[in-house]
Amino acid sequence: MRKVAIIGVGITPFLSRYLDKTYFELAYDATKLALNDCNKQGIEITHKDLESTVYGIYNELFERQFMPDIFINSYIGMNDKPGTRIASGGATGGYTVRMAYAEVASGLSDLCLCLGVEKCNDCYDEKTGATTPQVLNAIAYSADMTYEYPMGMMAASSYVSMVNAHFEEFGSPSEEQMALVSVKNHGNAINNPIAQSPMKITVEDVMNSRIICYPFKMLDCCLYSEASACLILASEQKVKELGVENPIWITGVGAANTDCFIGNRESIGRLYSNINAAKAAYKMAGLDYDNIKNQIDVAELHDAFSGQEVISYEELGFVPFGEGGKWIESGGPEIGGELPCCPSGGLIGCGHAVGATGIMSTGEAALQLRGDADKHQVTIEKGRALAHSIGGPGAAYAAIIIMENEEAKK
Amino acid sequence: MVFQEHQIRDKILIEYKYTMGGQSKFFIELMNNKKILGTKCRKCKKVWLPPRINCSECYEDTDWIELPHTGTIQVSTIVWYGAAAFIQNVPYGCAFIKLDKADTAMFQGVFSENLVPSKLKKGQRVKAVFKKKENREGKMTDFFFVPEDEWERWINKPEYEGGD
Repeated sequence: MRKVAIIGVGITPFLSRYLDKTYFELAYDATKLALNDCNKQGIEITHKDLESTVYGIYNELFERQFMPDIFINSYIGMNDKPGTRIASGGATGGYTVRMAYAEVASGLSDLCLCLGVEKCNDCYDEKTGATTPQVLNAIAYSADMTYEYPMGMMAASSYVSMVNAHFEEFGSPSEEQMALVSVKNHGNAINNPIAQSPMKITVEDVMNSRIICYPFKMLDCCLYSEASACLILASEQKVKELGVENPIWITGVGAANTDCFIGNRESIGRLYSNINAAKAAYKMAGLDYDNIKNQIDVAELHDAFSGQEVISYEELGFVPFGEGGKWIESGGPEIGGELPCCPSGGLIGCGHAVGATGIMSTGEAALQLRGDADKHQVTIEKGRALAHSIGGPGAAYAAIIIMENEEAKK
Repeated sequence: MVFQEHQIRDKILIEYKYTMGGQSKFFIELMNNKKILGTKCRKCKKVWLPPRINCSECYEDTDWIELPHTGTIQVSTIVWYGAAAFIQNVPYGCAFIKLDKADTAMFQGVFSENLVPSKLKKGQRVKAVFKKKENREGKMTDFFFVPEDEWERWINKPEYEGGD
């Protein structure tokens, strides 16, 4: 396979609602931001140079449009070029990066647009006069529609099952340990201008917020967001041709789908998709699952729910099983800690614009490696970063991307 | 230029009459006879619930088997805020329940006179309660589970009944 680099990143602000943009207008904005990011670095390209697009769009019901990708394709001026849509639940972003990587690594394209967008809050519940109940309904249709949806399965009740079972098995994470993730990520978001929920809060604030799905409380959950995020990927040959000075190489892409029926799994308290995706990505990047914490500088994790970030520390190999709760108590994943996790604010701080989210996380990690993360920049010593996406029924889909900056390593 | 917003009201509604294919027998027996059927792989003997007519591990066919109405909670939650379709039901309990003799756990509603997390803990024994025949539709909502010690009281309510 050919080497593939991220040469441009574009992320629109994550907002609860864009009344002044449709999903395809948002996608245009992110594309333009990514092209501007290239131009600022002296990379002279326009949209006409892009050879293909991989679209990450999770949910047709949000966009009120089946096959939304083809309408974006028209709006962003990519007619007469190949475009492929990826839809893998909450892991749509990570999977989209994976497929855009494959587009370039395979030799099909030398310059590929990796574009995610989601606009959920056009859903509207006439009965309660609020968007959320209809947004949750549109998501709940991702559960098995015969055996699980009618029983009231939804995103929170699905994730909470794994977190509760993990707690039963390991005594971690406690409610207070989960709350620390919320405090950290809302706090980190204060320094990220694109974030939807920057907040200085305490563990007590989280504990006192309204119960959503026992034991998840309001501040343990990310908010649904509207946004678009975009990467421009280039082959090694194109990197040379364009004189890219600071390419961020994608060195590992790992993905795995575990059984979407949680009750079929060997242990309910494990996200096997995480474990298998991590091992595959590390192997490809030549990294070690048991020593990964010391091999990367930063991780952008998929913290749709606080407890899920804690168990991800364990499943991604940062700490042994059962020690995730203790690790956040010790400050390990804080900025300045052993391995900063979600310095952007993650999903809890930035919001969750599903198809855009994993591309935002990958873009954020790439900006960290470039030294371009401004106020939330972490120290880069090893020159490696990780971005994590997970989602779908029972968190069945997971994708992990490892990136490297060869300059930073020198 | 000042931005002026414009929103259009709409809804998407599709009607279905969908086949349950090879799993049809599960729903027919549930509706007509209050039976909970799983399937057993002819090769590895794994008992699937929800049922599968093929074993996804062995690529062999399975056979229908009747399962007991009792089982154990593997993990649970109580939902306090939810999707539009269920928001009128909150708070509601739900759990992954492994029926005795099954190898997989099924997601189902757990009702209790005292809906608190301690009542739905891992290891809690539960038993199935069915809607009365005239109200059963051959759907998962035809039945639910209750803690075993509450079962007698639930099946004596006018709208419910126990299995055989």
